[in-house]
Amino acid sequence: MRLGMVIDLYKCIGCRTCAVVCKQVNSQPPGTWWNRVFTPGSQHHQVAPRQTGRLKMSFLPVSCQMCDNPACERVCPVGATYTDEQGVVLVDLERCIGCRYCMSACPYGVRQFNWEDPKQAKEKAGYAKGYTYGYPFPQRDKKGRLVYTPNRPKGITEKCTFCVQYTSKGELPMCVQACPAGARHFGDLDDPNSTVGRLIRERETIRLLEELGTSPKVYYLSPNKPE
Amino acid sequence: MVKGGFKLTRRRFLQGAAAGGLMAGTGIFYRGKQGTAWSQEELRPKEVKFVRSVCSPNCTSACGIKAMVVDGQIKTLTPTNDYPEPEYGPRGCLRGLSFLNLMYGPDRLEKPMIRVGERGKGEFREVTWEEALDYTAEKLKEVAAKYGPDSIGFSFQVGGTGHVQKGAWIALSTMAGWTLLHPYDLNGDLPMFFPQTFGVQTEELEPIEWLNSRYTAVFGSNVMVTRLIDADLLNQSRVKGAKLVVFDPVYSATAAKADEWIRLKPSGDAALALCMARVIIEEELYDRDFIITYTDLPLLIRLDNGKRLKAEDVTGLSKPDIPDYREAYVAYNGEFLTVHPEQLDLPLNVKLFGQWEAPLKDGTTVPVKTAFQLLQEQLKEITPDYVEEETGVSWDTAVRLAREMAAAKPLHVIYGASNYQWYHGDLKGRALSLLPVLTGNIGKPGAGISTYAGQYRVRMDVKDWWFPATPKWTPWLYFLHGPTKEMVAPYPKNGLKGFVFGWHNPFDQHNMANRLREMAGNGELEFIVAMDFQRTTSCDWADVVFPAAGWYEKTELVTTPLHPYMQLQQPAVAPLGERKSELWMAREIAKRLDPGFEAHFFPGNDEQTAAEKAVDLILRTGGPPTAGITLERLKKGPVRMWSEGPNNRQVPFYEQFAHKKPFPPLSRPAALPATAQFVKSGRIEFYKDEDPFLRLGEELPVHKPPFAESEYRLLPEAKGKYTFAYITRNSLYRVHSTHSNNIWMNELEDGKAKVFLNPDDAAAKGIKEGDLVEVYNARGLVKGYAVLDPGMSRQMIVFEQGWWARYLKDTSYNSLTYPFIKPTHEVYFVPGMWAPNTAWNECLVDVRKAGEAV
Repeated sequence: MRLGMVIDLYKCIGCRTCAVVCKQVNSQPPGTWWNRVFTPGSQHHQVAPRQTGRLKMSFLPVSCQMCDNPACERVCPVGATYTDEQGVVLVDLERCIGCRYCMSACPYGVRQFNWEDPKQAKEKAGYAKGYTYGYPFPQRDKKGRLVYTPNRPKGITEKCTFCVQYTSKGELPMCVQACPAGARHFGDLDDPNSTVGRLIRERETIRLLEELGTSPKVYYLSPNKPE
Repeated sequence: MVKGGFKLTRRRFLQGAAAGGLMAGTGIFYRGKQGTAWSQEELRPKEVKFVRSVCSPNCTSACGIKAMVVDGQIKTLTPTNDYPEPEYGPRGCLRGLSFLNLMYGPDRLEKPMIRVGERGKGEFREVTWEEALDYTAEKLKEVAAKYGPDSIGFSFQVGGTGHVQKGAWIALSTMAGWTLLHPYDLNGDLPMFFPQTFGVQTEELEPIEWLNSRYTAVFGSNVMVTRLIDADLLNQSRVKGAKLVVFDPVYSATAAKADEWIRLKPSGDAALALCMARVIIEEELYDRDFIITYTDLPLLIRLDNGKRLKAEDVTGLSKPDIPDYREAYVAYNGEFLTVHPEQLDLPLNVKLFGQWEAPLKDGTTVPVKTAFQLLQEQLKEITPDYVEEETGVSWDTAVRLAREMAAAKPLHVIYGASNYQWYHGDLKGRALSLLPVLTGNIGKPGAGISTYAGQYRVRMDVKDWWFPATPKWTPWLYFLHGPTKEMVAPYPKNGLKGFVFGWHNPFDQHNMANRLREMAGNGELEFIVAMDFQRTTSCDWADVVFPAAGWYEKTELVTTPLHPYMQLQQPAVAPLGERKSELWMAREIAKRLDPGFEAHFFPGNDEQTAAEKAVDLILRTGGPPTAGITLERLKKGPVRMWSEGPNNRQVPFYEQFAHKKPFPPLSRPAALPATAQFVKSGRIEFYKDEDPFLRLGEELPVHKPPFAESEYRLLPEAKGKYTFAYITRNSLYRVHSTHSNNIWMNELEDGKAKVFLNPDDAAAKGIKEGDLVEVYNARGLVKGYAVLDPGMSRQMIVFEQGWWARYLKDTSYNSLTYPFIKPTHEVYFVPGMWAPNTAWNECLVDVRKAGEAV
């Protein structure tokens, strides 16, 4: 089984709901975004790029690309970043030493570093005393590695887990559940009958920076209207 | 794995979670491998519950939201997908799903406050509820005694977002004799062409019907941003073969998703629509039978006075027995016929074109023409040069699009609020209505014209809860502008001296915010009461501030005009601290004003029980729309209300079309006679013969360029001095001003308010990307950071509305606007249905780099 995601850029309206719900349920502190949505070619989101000829604009959500050949995993000196048996690239939060090699190695810029204690960061932002948001229970993998917990400590690196706290219970990642445009699909890439398997087979797809050999498991469908 | 005597019980957690369904993980014990402080949390048992509530900020989407509550705190807000039509799920957007930032954020009000410093300075002392309520009731009594109770104005936001809590204050206002200010025209969301043309407040096709359209023409609506939850249905309609064309001066996210984007000059819509109507008429692409049966275009117009010919004046004809709010007019099919206003049954051989001499009972004759004839003659003025000059669209393109629209059925026109919030917004809407009406695209699935702005609609009878006494209303614009000579709306004898507001931010976010501040500053307003769940920028102008319970802390009944689902806001957590629901506040004030008032508010019940009883009352007395709907059903999830269209779909005017019922359908809470007088013929009216229309040359839809009758009349030197149209559109990151202080929304736009302008205009002004700029006119000034956007047309500025002044270096974007009142909006007065409407975008400005000399 190889879990992957297909994002349909024809359907994507650039609303950033995925980015926000990701931030919320994953308890990301101020300034941290595991998932972002861009307007390619433009400095400002939902502003057309300045180019000659007809105006064109599309939107591109980017989070961890869940590479089959993840550069972040290769450079991790302590084995904190690993790929689980379903192909999901995860960080053992208790093993991470915060060296940030992975952040330099990742060509997608999706890894985030906790520069300060997230609880303090939230308090500084003015949330009610003692309040923190996000899925409140920790998640460990089969070997007991801590792969999700709210308020990860200062000094470690974190990123999208395909919402391991939800997927381990049979739910879809929250960005997929929440996408109002139905642009996100999630499932087993190896299963030809899965939606993701079918879309990759039937539709033209691209993967980001494929030439680097990272072999992402996040696929994108063209922003053009399907024929 | 054993550490410190604890066994790692991951398996037990997983089993527990599976047994409990979803994530109901109670009684979990964990131990971090490293035993770090941050993993100790895992040890604590936690109680979990899920509550379905509704997001209701007047964006119209009315999304069900699932709150996960752990130990009395909401931890996550996630979308719902429990609507019977899967197309409507999932619901919940970036704003609604980050509401926790407001609910638990730094701007929550905690305690009642009474002002100690100057108004506007925000200096208060915290007081007990008892003191706040006694003080408020005393001051309100004082104002009422001095100036009359109608000198106290109550201003609120649209009723659909919450019938129970707002209804409590509306009820109190009616009992106390205060004046109500209707939010729909205050917001500028009332599209005046709707009452003028169709006799209704507004009607909308529900989004799932977009899938049935074959052609969607969007005029200045940014559906992909402002209706983002349902926007995917437009994408899907294209996959099904429909065409999506966006007419807009700005290349928006919606334009980017269209088959075709037509760059249209600001406020050029009427010229373009009339050009298309000309093509449709000249090429006989119209639906003749539809026009004869459902519109006023076959009716005869007297050429001597411009009025419709009445049957009672014509020899041999008489006025049938009809209600006072109707009139019987005349058509011609070889002989003169009485047109019965309650029967849509004109013979199909009625002439659409022609001129005749009508014999009158006084022995004279009068020359008459059909309205259609007059329209056709008038459209001859819409020449190719005129169209290109006024719209920027080539004649060939306009002709091609007119033919496409006439050929595609069903055709749906979406006419956005940013586009009708202009002085001549009504004319544009009347002109655009010609497209679906001439082609017979009314009352059918996937067809029509919709505006989609505001959660204004009252979908059921609410009299028993809202109006225990007769309400008094006056339009907001008179409050700012002062009464006019022609006004027919009542206005309090002594003006407004007391001001009670909730659910909005009027001192910062409404038309001419500076005028309101002035009235507070100079004491013209003698007493000001604010209620809100957050300390908005308007609270600083109040004399007393009530801290309200927010969503997820109270019970509320929600509907929207967009889709026909009735839903319940349910408390997920108890109101924190001293916050109270608005119903509770209304009850406390009521009993202090008059002990007899309290009985209306379910005394003796706690605030949640009282709210549930109010819901129950509305459901029991709501009339046919609430038949069979109970509180218990609503607690479980969304309940579809009855709609008139096929398959219980919300298809406007379906009953008029299918069952030939006269126009208009009922617009609640008004009684039918109140709105039926707007279209006395009982038909779709394009010819308006009330005097102000005739005087202004607007008896038929015409194009009038912007600013001539507004800005240039108000300030002649503005012409040439202020040459940029100033358009305030909705932002992706806010719902009006709600979420202005949402930390994540601000992170997503770098915490900067932006001023969008065309790169060539910027170059001409010496403005570079990211510069802090000032947009200004003779009335005011606002600051923001320049974004050079190639999708912007020339000579226009776009500012995204909703920023609180504190994010704008204490400037306000509403200091630039003006409360223009158009005489055609004053012909009748029915609150929120025919009333002077705020024209936010009728505003000229200039722009400069901040700090440059004037």
